Amino acid sequence: MSAHHGSDSIQHLYEGDQSKLYSGVMAHHTDIESKESKDQIKKIWKVFWVLLAITVAEVVVGMFFSHSIPKGLVNFFFLALTILKAGYIVAIFMHLGDEFKGFIVTVLVPLFLFVWFIIAFLADGFFWLRMNNESPARGDKIEVVAPHAKK
Amino acid sequence: MSHSTVVTSAPKENVWIGGRSPYNVSYGKMMMWFFLLSDALTFGALLISYGTTRFFSAVWPDPNEVFKAFPFMGHASLPLLFVSLMTFILIMSSVTMVLAVHAGHYGDKKKVAYWLLWTIIGGICFLACQAWEWTHLHGELGGLWGTFTDPATPVSKFEHFFNHHNAGAILDQQPLVAMQSTHNFFNYFFTITGFHGGHVTSGVVFNILILVNTVNGVYERRGHYEMVEKIGLYWHFVDLVWVFVFTCFYLL
Repeated sequence: MSAHHGSDSIQHLYEGDQSKLYSGVMAHHTDIESKESKDQIKKIWKVFWVLLAITVAEVVVGMFFSHSIPKGLVNFFFLALTILKAGYIVAIFMHLGDEFKGFIVTVLVPLFLFVWFIIAFLADGFFWLRMNNESPARGDKIEVVAPHAKK
Repeated sequence: MSHSTVVTSAPKENVWIGGRSPYNVSYGKMMMWFFLLSDALTFGALLISYGTTRFFSAVWPDPNEVFKAFPFMGHASLPLLFVSLMTFILIMSSVTMVLAVHAGHYGDKKKVAYWLLWTIIGGICFLACQAWEWTHLHGELGGLWGTFTDPATPVSKFEHFFNHHNAGAILDQQPLVAMQSTHNFFNYFFTITGFHGGHVTSGVVFNILILVNTVNGVYERRGHYEMVEKIGLYWHFVDLVWVFVFTCFYLL
């Protein structure tokens, strides 16, 4: 490393003025009244309206339709919209969409652990419910011992 | 054909040999992302254990029945309305935060301070809403954690949390099963919204600190407002978690 670069400059870069590494989307711009800046602000407000519209849609379905539409369909609807909202917040508000592709991948890949995490644990919960209901050892009824019922 | 080959085969600059940031992102900002990643796993663990408990429960309280109160509206049944207001406040404060970050990119001290102030106000409003909700539930349940543990509790104390269309049979025949679910539901509710509320609280504290720094010109002298951007990441993450809490507790 030091064969290619003076160690001073590296030291300076990492421990000194971090602004050299500062990647802010518009780090080098100065005029907040410029068209570029205004477009960015417009985009932020647009995302706000999108998030608001999605939330209103969720609440309306939750209030009025959650018992008339099949439960699975309603849940799929809620989860899809939740992921969509999360995507907007991370990509636009957190500016992850403006970072280098390698960094985006670095941040997002570990989250795929959740796929296994969710499937495994929900399946486990479902399995326990079935055990409680059907296992001959437990009788044919659910028995739940309240924490203070044990003597 | 041969021309384009020449262009694409030009040696690619190796960004990993040192001396520069390969992702063009500062140490502090990258570590904030990794901290948020670990925090996401913590929140994920809490929400998934909530999901597991819910999956092994034969019945579960209906959010439309549990959360239907609104301040000053007495006993009117207004499901989801109050939490929608809380969600709106948090999304709004996320927008003001991103506007503060944007102003920071342009080094506009006045606008950074202005939008940070609104973000702090939004955060405090959200916390006030949560305080009201917890107080309301405390009055209704007679406690926060660890309620509904006495097997002698009459069914009338918790049956109104359920949708009788789905849970009627269990409530009649095995009220203890429903009581156990109520117990679990509220324990998870207070743990998860409490953990989230703790994040909002620390976010408000951080925002106040960077507002003071901004007004004192600390970032102006430093030449950049990256600290506003880093705290902004944290603040948006808190909003992001709320999106999932909202779905898991109030919608599903």
